[in-house]
Amino acid sequence: MKTSRRGFIKSSMVATAGTLMIPNFLKATGFESSGRLQQQGKILVVIQLSGGNDGLNTVVPYRNDLYYQYRPGIAIRAADVLKATDELGFHPALSKLKDLYDRGYLAVLNNVGYPNPDRSHFRSMDIWQSGSDAATYLKTGWIGRYLDSNCGKSLCTAQAIEVDDTLSMALKGDVIKGLAMKNPEKFYRAAHHHFSKNIPGSSEVNEINDSSLHYLYKTLAETSSSAEFLYAKTKGKINSAAYPQNEFSTRLKTIASLIRSDVGTRIYYVTLSGFDTHANQQAQHQRLLAIYAEAVHAFVDDLGEDTMNDVMIMTFSEFGRRVRQNASGGTDHGTANNLFVVSKNLKRRGFINGSPDLYNLDQGDLIHQVDFRSVYATLLNKWLEVPSEKILNGSFSMSDFI
Amino acid sequence: MESDQKKKHLRLRAAFGLSLPDEKQGYNPEAWLHSSAHIQPLNVVEKGEIPQMQTNSPTDTIKQAISKSRGDILKLNGSWMDQLTDPRVVIREKMTLFWHDHFACRVRSGYLAQQQNNVLRQHALGKFGDLLHAVSKDPGMLQFLNNQQNKKNSPNENFARELLELFTLGRGHYTEDDIKNSARSFTGWAFNPVSGKFFFREKVHDDGLKTFRGRKGNFSGEDILEIILEDKQTARFVMGKLWQYFVSDDQPDDDLMASLSTDFFNSGYDIKKILFGIFTSSWFYDPRYTGNRIKSPVELVAGMLTQTNGKFEYPQASLFVQRALGQVLLLPPNVGGWPSGTAWIDSSSLTFRMSLASVMLKNGETTIDAKDDGDVNNETNRVKEKKITLRVNWGELAERFVRATADESLSAIEYYLLARPGLKASRQVVRNYAGGSTSDPEFVKKAFIGFMSLPEYQLS
Repeated sequence: MKTSRRGFIKSSMVATAGTLMIPNFLKATGFESSGRLQQQGKILVVIQLSGGNDGLNTVVPYRNDLYYQYRPGIAIRAADVLKATDELGFHPALSKLKDLYDRGYLAVLNNVGYPNPDRSHFRSMDIWQSGSDAATYLKTGWIGRYLDSNCGKSLCTAQAIEVDDTLSMALKGDVIKGLAMKNPEKFYRAAHHHFSKNIPGSSEVNEINDSSLHYLYKTLAETSSSAEFLYAKTKGKINSAAYPQNEFSTRLKTIASLIRSDVGTRIYYVTLSGFDTHANQQAQHQRLLAIYAEAVHAFVDDLGEDTMNDVMIMTFSEFGRRVRQNASGGTDHGTANNLFVVSKNLKRRGFINGSPDLYNLDQGDLIHQVDFRSVYATLLNKWLEVPSEKILNGSFSMSDFI
Repeated sequence: MESDQKKKHLRLRAAFGLSLPDEKQGYNPEAWLHSSAHIQPLNVVEKGEIPQMQTNSPTDTIKQAISKSRGDILKLNGSWMDQLTDPRVVIREKMTLFWHDHFACRVRSGYLAQQQNNVLRQHALGKFGDLLHAVSKDPGMLQFLNNQQNKKNSPNENFARELLELFTLGRGHYTEDDIKNSARSFTGWAFNPVSGKFFFREKVHDDGLKTFRGRKGNFSGEDILEIILEDKQTARFVMGKLWQYFVSDDQPDDDLMASLSTDFFNSGYDIKKILFGIFTSSWFYDPRYTGNRIKSPVELVAGMLTQTNGKFEYPQASLFVQRALGQVLLLPPNVGGWPSGTAWIDSSSLTFRMSLASVMLKNGETTIDAKDDGDVNNETNRVKEKKITLRVNWGELAERFVRATADESLSAIEYYLLARPGLKASRQVVRNYAGGSTSDPEFVKKAFIGFMSLPEYQLS
């Protein structure tokens, strides 16, 4: 199945490529053999929950008295919890995630974080996106460095796509940067704006001997080709799968359409924000969790069992929240948190490293047991099958969910 | 290089491009630097209550103070952008922006942010040593790098680490023991939350013996700063960053770097003097350093405002554009400051940058959404201003740029806006867009939009 699918992509690409107006200088730098055509491998979808998701009210330790003592006003009542094991269960808004759990599609890692946790949103998000430790300031992201070390010289941008208008640091490498777009049509229109569609011919661009100007024109040409390519691949293919009506679901639907259209992208990135629940968090948190779970479920259904062999979804947030609720019916910034992995053939599923430890806290916060970079290392080495040491600037022990 | 071209290059690097008032001035770096003597502090935020570190259950008063401060940051952001684009004070402002990136802080209190910004402005062209001492005692810095918590017997090393790594010596030029010992020297450096002024809490200061950079003594915080300043490596590190800001992302050869660093060091870290040296050198105007520096988002926006002499119709639009481009004044990503060069350019950012002129000067409305940084208290996340129109006096620009023929006019506008001539094909695109008739009342506007939409406009 693999080879025939790859063969199909190759032939359809050649057919399409003829109709694309690929600037000559791109052809010269190897458009035909660009990275995205080399192999159709595994696909990773990264979901970022921005604001700091309250992990303890997401996966609930419903048998733990301490949990109820710390959170008299906002704890999820045991009777309401969607029970999964003798200790843990899901927030009632997560019935769709529970369904994936029941089907064996879900792995939950608890207590994921990093040493010397930073409780500032922007800094902690910086750390997660760059894949650095708390004392290092990197200006590239871990997915960007994946692109840097695993992509040829041209048109690599479409190897990693963020479904948004602007590109997160996570997808920016030193040399190669991923691509941000809400959907192929909007992207195509933006890239074919009056001044960007008129790309100068190859000879003139090739004569540019200044590296900055060359970089700009090269980015412009790549943007234009990527936009044409993605638009041509997806045009006219209507995805009629049922998704809830909200922005986040629409973005996942876009990703499903791109995967179905065999665009060759290896990593997709998408964000759901609003998790900074300092006050009266219950209604807000419930709403967001439902949006998340329903969208992911619809996405898995949409792709179907076959495709889910090749797709893995990893969901994280920049930090969890304090164990003790605050005086406003909310929770303040915390540290370690749970992280979800959804895929079809997980080697280990369910709760793969026990429950959060509420007895041993560090000044009221959970203590991390799993470094988030070991999750990245696992995804890079075992799923995307690339060496992770260079990308992560170090070697991290790997998890066994793959 | 002709003196007119030198003037342009100087304005591109040391300001935000040529401006209309520049017309009357020649290329005279000395006079121009001299005009920077005037210091115009920002003064838009009243003191009020200064919010403290986030507590677990903030009281309503604290919450109100936090909320007021967020609003104050927005106000401050707008007024700084206005001042950055004021040609009369621009070199000092551009240096203030440099130091804001060098001593990158996200100060929670609007008042403290303003105070810090004014400290940077005051010393922007003075002696680096004075600046370093002032910033190290600045309440916004003390708060941001947790020096309020730096006490005898329980030192907090955050400030000491960034001081050595990011502000002075640079990575690889100090040891972990240097950090530990210098952190002890800064114990007790604090500020009074009511007055918002530095004060020394002698009781929590560790006056014991410290070893720092191979020397032993009962060093105070001031002593540590002086020892750092006595080290030539500090001059070298800061010089490297000045080079990157004004000249190129590629560092110069070792000889030139060594000679610049020595000059800087020997002048007693005289910032104005070293800038004068850069701006009057011959290499500064060498083709390999001209017209090829990628503008940061703030430089891009400030440039558009400067060159059109325009103002945002809706004040919040300025903030929205900064967010969408990924650089918001007063909100650097972390203490390491902003990235530079090609890091600013990816498919989506380039597309947005190239569409900005059309939107800001014509249609007025963008379809882009800017990212949320996750913080529910961050007021800038709520700014979703999509009408980013600039108010521009096109008559004034037409008077200045319309010549006998369309081609002459286009050449004049191209020279004024672009750091380097556009590629032939790209100029043709602008020519087609603007049309061939200078009697068209939209001609100058279209020409501006055209040249500002080219990749070349991303360069300074």
